[in-house]
Amino acid sequence: MAFLEIDNVTKSFSPGTAAVKDFDLRVEKGELVSFLGPSGCGKTTTLRMVAGFEIPSTGHVSINGEDITDKPPNKRNVGMVFQAYALFPNMTVGGNIGFGLKLAKKSAEEIKQRVDEMLKLIHMPGLDDRYPYQLSGGQQQRVALARALAIRPAVLLLDEPLSALDAKIRVSLRAEIRGIQQQLGITAIYVTHDQEEALSISDRIVVMNEGRMEQVGTPFEIYNFPKTDFVAHFVGTLNAIKAEVRDAKAGLLAVSGQQIQTAQKLGAVRSGETTTISLRPERLSFAADGKKANVLDCTVENITFLGSIVRIQVRAGDRTLYMDTFNNPFLELPKIGDKTQITFSAEAVLVLDESAAA
Amino acid sequence: MRKSNIWAWIILIVGILYFFVPLVATLDFSLRAEKDVYPSFEAFRTVFSDPEFYKNFSSSLGWSVLTIICSTLLIVPTTYWVHYRLPNWRPAVEFVTLMPFVVPAVVLTFGLIRLYCCDPLPLISSPILLVAGYMVLSFPYMFRAVDTGLRAIDVRTLTEAAQSLGAGWGTVLFRVIFPNLRVAILSGVFLTFAIVIGEFTFASLLNWPAFGPYMEYLGATRAYEPAALALISFLLTWGSTMLIQYIGRGRGVETQVAGTR
Repeated sequence: MAFLEIDNVTKSFSPGTAAVKDFDLRVEKGELVSFLGPSGCGKTTTLRMVAGFEIPSTGHVSINGEDITDKPPNKRNVGMVFQAYALFPNMTVGGNIGFGLKLAKKSAEEIKQRVDEMLKLIHMPGLDDRYPYQLSGGQQQRVALARALAIRPAVLLLDEPLSALDAKIRVSLRAEIRGIQQQLGITAIYVTHDQEEALSISDRIVVMNEGRMEQVGTPFEIYNFPKTDFVAHFVGTLNAIKAEVRDAKAGLLAVSGQQIQTAQKLGAVRSGETTTISLRPERLSFAADGKKANVLDCTVENITFLGSIVRIQVRAGDRTLYMDTFNNPFLELPKIGDKTQITFSAEAVLVLDESAAA
Repeated sequence: MRKSNIWAWIILIVGILYFFVPLVATLDFSLRAEKDVYPSFEAFRTVFSDPEFYKNFSSSLGWSVLTIICSTLLIVPTTYWVHYRLPNWRPAVEFVTLMPFVVPAVVLTFGLIRLYCCDPLPLISSPILLVAGYMVLSFPYMFRAVDTGLRAIDVRTLTEAAQSLGAGWGTVLFRVIFPNLRVAILSGVFLTFAIVIGEFTFASLLNWPAFGPYMEYLGATRAYEPAALALISFLLTWGSTMLIQYIGRGRGVETQVAGTR
């Protein structure tokens, strides 16, 4: 039995429309699972059902074997961190962190000790007498995290906790959150629409779309082996190319008359049909002279410098493709308008459904 | 001096004259109670030595306190719940609170007398009816003050944050929401106080001692004392406003819920 079980949960706010459909997930103790998806995909609704702010229309939620589906939020022992920090403005940092402990009727000495411990954990020792308005956004969110952790919750829920912060603080704070989560060994659910955040922080990711789970897997699996078109397109950048199936059994396709070999079996399509292949930009490279297999003729359209990588936009027939290459000071790049060839390995080709072609 | 500054000063001076000339004239008149003596504080002395003044003023003070307690206990949780759970109901609640602006106090009072004169709720001789009437009068001010305060804080998130830490509804209201509405509630409280202190129609028609009917009585029977009483009434209202500003000063920034500074 898993520590947190979300058992076939559905949530409808109005008849006939479900915000979350048949959500089924098992989370092990100490695991950090991210819910990733676009706005309105049901990730926050699912989190709120775990927190007790929404009651599932069908299905059950249980923590450590106890069914908490009908328990009110204040009886669940679930800590939550909100996007808008939600620190109590009338209380000091110490008051905020100690709030849950006071409600649990802990002694003043115990509360003081735990508050100091939490402040140390978030690298803000001695700031317990500050008010929330005297702190920066990043500090406020760290206090919100400490407040949620102070009550020693069974599960920690984080609802887009970094969305209101600027890019640099987001990156440092997400590492801090992950570090604290691993240090305490706490089970956590992390909601985000930021794929980079989900990929960097999670043990596993649940990609959601229109209330459904699209795929559950490790960040590596989600990025490298997307199971659906939606996951492939939502996580990372993807080049989608229409291809004609020449020999389904052998994994042979053709794009603009040029032969493409895949390592994947083409079970769902037959020879002569059209399908869509997808390629990650980092799996493309300029072809060496004389290379014949998996090569596409193209013209360089644009070159964008993105710091650690350089994104090259090329035109192959009527399609625009993106190719990423690592930056280095001695990188020799083609010029805009140059005729060239790009290539990729058979393993780099993902064959997706027809609907993936954009 | 820039042209726009001159106009600003002109507008300010006109405003000051508009507000202060009647007050100064009233003060001047109230200081002429004795022939050939100026300034004479006889009118003020008469008012302060009249036992009826204290009786009526203390009655109104009592009605104010009762109205403030009942109104706060009714309006604050209602407005909170409308913000938290029933935002679609807000226009309906707002409409109801506007009743005293739409229905004249005389009509309201006669409505109350007709409804509560006899069985099943014979409350005509009970102060409950007067306080209930005052509560209705205070609705627009109390509701708007609390509503504005609730708009300034993220009610839903604060409530949920408190709940996730183990707080029940009572704790959420009294330890999280109320303290962050302190200034807003105080604004509503003192507006209610100012209205109830000077109210005439309800107290007069329901036959209860109060400051409003007393002022009317003095106005009908004396010359200089009503002017003195009007100034005392103004001073009480100003005192209330200053008290709001004193209690509320320097604390407003603490109501920030999200974002950096």
